[in-house]
Amino acid sequence: METMDTDKAAKKAAMKDLRAQRKDLIEAASLQMKKQKKDIKAIEAFLTGRAATIPDIAQGIGLPTDKTLWYIASLKKYGRIVEGSKAGAFFNYALNEPANNTEQEEV
Amino acid sequence: MVSPDIKKFDTLVVGGGIAGLQAALDLGDQGYTVAVVEKDASIGGKMIRLSKVFPTLDCASCITTPKMSAAAHHENITLFTYCDLVSLDTDESANGSGINCRIIQRPRYVDPVKCIGCRQCEYICPVHVPDMEQGGLSAKRAISIPFSNAIPQLPILDIEHCMLCGQCEKVCPTNAIDYFQQPEDMMLSANTAIVTTGFELLPVKTFVQYGNGSIPNVVDALQMERLLAPHGPYNRVIRPSDGMEPDSIAYVQCAGSRDKSHGVPYCSRVCCMYAIKQAMLLSGSLPLADITIYYMDIRAFGKGYEQFYQNAKAMGIEFVKAKVARIDQGDNGSATVRYERQDGSGTASQDHDLVVLSMGVVPGWNPEPICAVSKSTDHFITSIKPKISPVLTSINGVFVAGAAAGPKDIVDTITESGSAAMEAAKFMSNSPRGN
Amino acid sequence: MEEKKNKVGVYICYCGGNISDHVDVEEVRNRALKLPDVTVARTNMFMCSDPGQEMIIEDLKSGKIDRVVVASCAPSLHETTFRGAIERAGSNPFIYEHANIREQVSWVHHGDPATDKAAILIASATAKAKHLKPLAPIHVDAKRHATVIGGGIAGIKTALDIAGQGIDVTLIERSPLLGGQLNSLGQLAPYGDHASDILKELIDQVTGHTAITIHTNTKVEAVSGYVGNFSLNLLKKSDPENIPLTLDTGAIVMATGSVSYTPFKGEYGFGQYESVITLPELIRLLKANTSSRSMLEVNGKPIKNMVMIHCVGSRQIPGIHPPKENGTLNEYCSRTCCSAMLNAANQIRETFPETSIYEMYRDIRTYGRGQEELYMQASANKVVFMRYEADEPPEVSKNDDPDYPLQVRIKDGLTFNESLTVPADLVVLATGIEPNDVTNLASQMKLPIGTDRFLLEVHPKLRPVEFPITGIFLAGTCQAPMDSGEACNAAGAAAVKASALLSKGYIELDPFVAEVDTDKCQGHGACVEACIKEGALTLMEVINPDGNPVKQAQVTPAMCLGCGACAAVCPEGAIDINGWALKQYEDMVDAIVSDSVAV
Repeated sequence: METMDTDKAAKKAAMKDLRAQRKDLIEAASLQMKKQKKDIKAIEAFLTGRAATIPDIAQGIGLPTDKTLWYIASLKKYGRIVEGSKAGAFFNYALNEPANNTEQEEV
Repeated sequence: MVSPDIKKFDTLVVGGGIAGLQAALDLGDQGYTVAVVEKDASIGGKMIRLSKVFPTLDCASCITTPKMSAAAHHENITLFTYCDLVSLDTDESANGSGINCRIIQRPRYVDPVKCIGCRQCEYICPVHVPDMEQGGLSAKRAISIPFSNAIPQLPILDIEHCMLCGQCEKVCPTNAIDYFQQPEDMMLSANTAIVTTGFELLPVKTFVQYGNGSIPNVVDALQMERLLAPHGPYNRVIRPSDGMEPDSIAYVQCAGSRDKSHGVPYCSRVCCMYAIKQAMLLSGSLPLADITIYYMDIRAFGKGYEQFYQNAKAMGIEFVKAKVARIDQGDNGSATVRYERQDGSGTASQDHDLVVLSMGVVPGWNPEPICAVSKSTDHFITSIKPKISPVLTSINGVFVAGAAAGPKDIVDTITESGSAAMEAAKFMSNSPRGN
Repeated sequence: MEEKKNKVGVYICYCGGNISDHVDVEEVRNRALKLPDVTVARTNMFMCSDPGQEMIIEDLKSGKIDRVVVASCAPSLHETTFRGAIERAGSNPFIYEHANIREQVSWVHHGDPATDKAAILIASATAKAKHLKPLAPIHVDAKRHATVIGGGIAGIKTALDIAGQGIDVTLIERSPLLGGQLNSLGQLAPYGDHASDILKELIDQVTGHTAITIHTNTKVEAVSGYVGNFSLNLLKKSDPENIPLTLDTGAIVMATGSVSYTPFKGEYGFGQYESVITLPELIRLLKANTSSRSMLEVNGKPIKNMVMIHCVGSRQIPGIHPPKENGTLNEYCSRTCCSAMLNAANQIRETFPETSIYEMYRDIRTYGRGQEELYMQASANKVVFMRYEADEPPEVSKNDDPDYPLQVRIKDGLTFNESLTVPADLVVLATGIEPNDVTNLASQMKLPIGTDRFLLEVHPKLRPVEFPITGIFLAGTCQAPMDSGEACNAAGAAAVKASALLSKGYIELDPFVAEVDTDKCQGHGACVEACIKEGALTLMEVINPDGNPVKQAQVTPAMCLGCGACAAVCPEGAIDINGWALKQYEDMVDAIVSDSVAV
């Protein structure tokens, strides 16, 4: 038990060092993540109860269309969003129902 | 410093794309031991990133994955992925066993033995980063496997974008995450080497006439491959700028090829055929779209290629004999292609929803200063006997195959790789010094 | 054998959309799960990928399944892939059955009928899989000897490469000379190597090689046998008594090469005007030419204006180009002529500056290294290029001008599509490449020939130098137009496959051959009569358990084709095909006609 604790403590100290070493990178990544979290939240809020196209979503949440598509593509990849019907030359996107989660495509 | 153990092989293959894999398999099947050193996190090279391939329209994965898998499970083949080649010394006085190389495996921050490829780390990671495997067109997580059929199925932690939040470590069922992983130094020795380092496309950002990569919806051919591929960023062909399904798509041929002043003087050999192939795939998925190919000469020279070209013409793909002079941003996300007709009747312009640049092909690796193998003015590795054995380099025991020896399609690459494996095998049979 | 319930696993591939765009793969999986004996049904984007194979291995190892059905592309592509996976799981590779739901379903059917048919084929494969039993591959000794048919550059290189691995080789050439087409070539594009130097180097090596036997002036009359044990009958033309030579060999490489296209009479004035010649003729003239004048001379006449027409006998289009008398049309590009034409043009412009050259082309195809440079060099040498369309080719006609016996009219795509007339005293036709006619040999060996009349490989990327008949390979221009370096690469690729095959001294064949149930066989001999492969089945005298001599059928597995002709005629049901038993067919048919999976 004692060695476990010393191991843990050593690991903790090492992680602390590592964090200090990578301070700038971590800060930049955290900032980026927070912005992404906010954007994704906005997309999810906008799509609650409706399906919309990229230009509609972009306009609704005040993001450029290319950045919006970038998020939508990723959210779709990880099963958070599904593609719906076509609207003119665009496609509608909607939130994925939890029952329908296809995060793991196998099985 | 303690020098690492030297791992011994018969042949060292530099580059784990289709050329390297074919050469490794052909040698492995004859009982030679082979080390394949690959810079990327997965073997498979450019081919595994393609959609379908000409002229048979097989899916690229259907041809590549089994070869990747066969190499990965071959008793005589060892894969070294995510590795940088630091040095490659050839000692020609060493009786045909003179190749020594040092490689450094970059840290994945994942223990390859413990990891079971369950992807839990990827699903939980909160940071999104551009997925360069998708031409940057979509995002992936800061820890993720490179792509769905990658070999090995090991995630890479993008340390530049990691917050060290510890979520992946917590969720990993096998404690495989290792934030402290260090680069691993390895020494390999072999009797022969085959260089199969492939190609890259000229970067669009250096071409001012095409907008330096700043015009929306102007993509290069490899990005278009991703748009067409089954695991692509959008799973369908839509414009990166706004998700619109394009109604008019243009191909700009010889973008940087056959162009002494702006790009490379030589023909990049594969662009005509892949443009035709992509055009055919597009007309399958977007039957109403207009597809135009701006070209100087169509070089459909391989087996079945001319018939493929004639089929494309019959399908209604428009071929315009013209040199594209420049591209400008148009209205509503379109791009304006300005071109000069080849018949001398002057210039014209046309707006397209999506423009694909068939960028010139350049070597994937510069052997200098690591390996003194001789190159030509085109920077590709040269053969000392191009008419008898295009795979023989200036160094005894070092061979070349695929696009490392000049732009080349997959059919010619696979054949050439077999030929390189044959020469390497012969060299070893005739040891000490071949002849 | 007692009927033990087998546990069948069904693995269905999306093929990255190739299948799933037309077949509802998840629906097919659901239906497969309801089939009797199916314990597991799974799907994957690419079943042939490592994660896909891994699923099969896991299920086998954990004992969830003991029979495997993969539903994906044609088995010719990935049968070996999946057998390999099963072997890695520690199971017998022959407990596996394949349902082709791509070529036979998604590529030809759409919508619900596609999904239904996929489900039916899987039901059928599952019904068959239940009866699969572990089998051992047939082990046959292979003669460590290869035979190369064709003594051109591809054949010579193949022979040298295989012999370099310590395997004996016989090289057979129909004509008196080794070297093939290269004998008629001169300075080669793009680097200017001389064909004669290249040939000398290779022929010196091949004639001096102790492991290589060369037969020139020799024809292959007949081929029989199977991989590892082929037998060839050869006929030497120089032999006055026509005594055939027999050659036993383990593998065969076809390197039978090509010829230059001969234009029909009147094609661009060929055979009509003596100043119309082919590119090979021009090359021969250039080789023989020692003149130091400033103008090229042909038959003593100086040439002022020479017109070179590309794509003669190549890139022909049905409806535009008339077929030859034998009905053939060459729709392919001959690959080598553009560079060869430019090379000849440069040589002439640089040696005979007063001879003007006009090149009339459709597309200039200088694709390879050093070739685009030839094109640029030709422009610098002031060769005049004119471009024509296939449906409006140049017209060669007689000219009244005594200085220029001919004129060539062209609608030039490089000058406003204007009609221009070029007076000419020599017209050179870039005649394409045609394969040598080997239909007789190919039909004997059952080798496929493509619609372009070249020999046809199994698959241009998966198995580019192999035929579907194991142990027979191809190299060089019998497969497609190639230049010398490309032909040598193909030779190396064929040689490496042949060497790998022969190096072990034995070969393993699929065990799908006839097997006699000695308890049932009454020695009627009906099977022997029905057998279509000589030597595969024989009636032998054996001693039965009672000590009495009886006649019974005996199979030579390496010879058996597995065709099943014997199984169909046996009155006792005593002979059957391993892996393809009658019972399996019955169950497959039952599964197809039952409506258990078709909703």
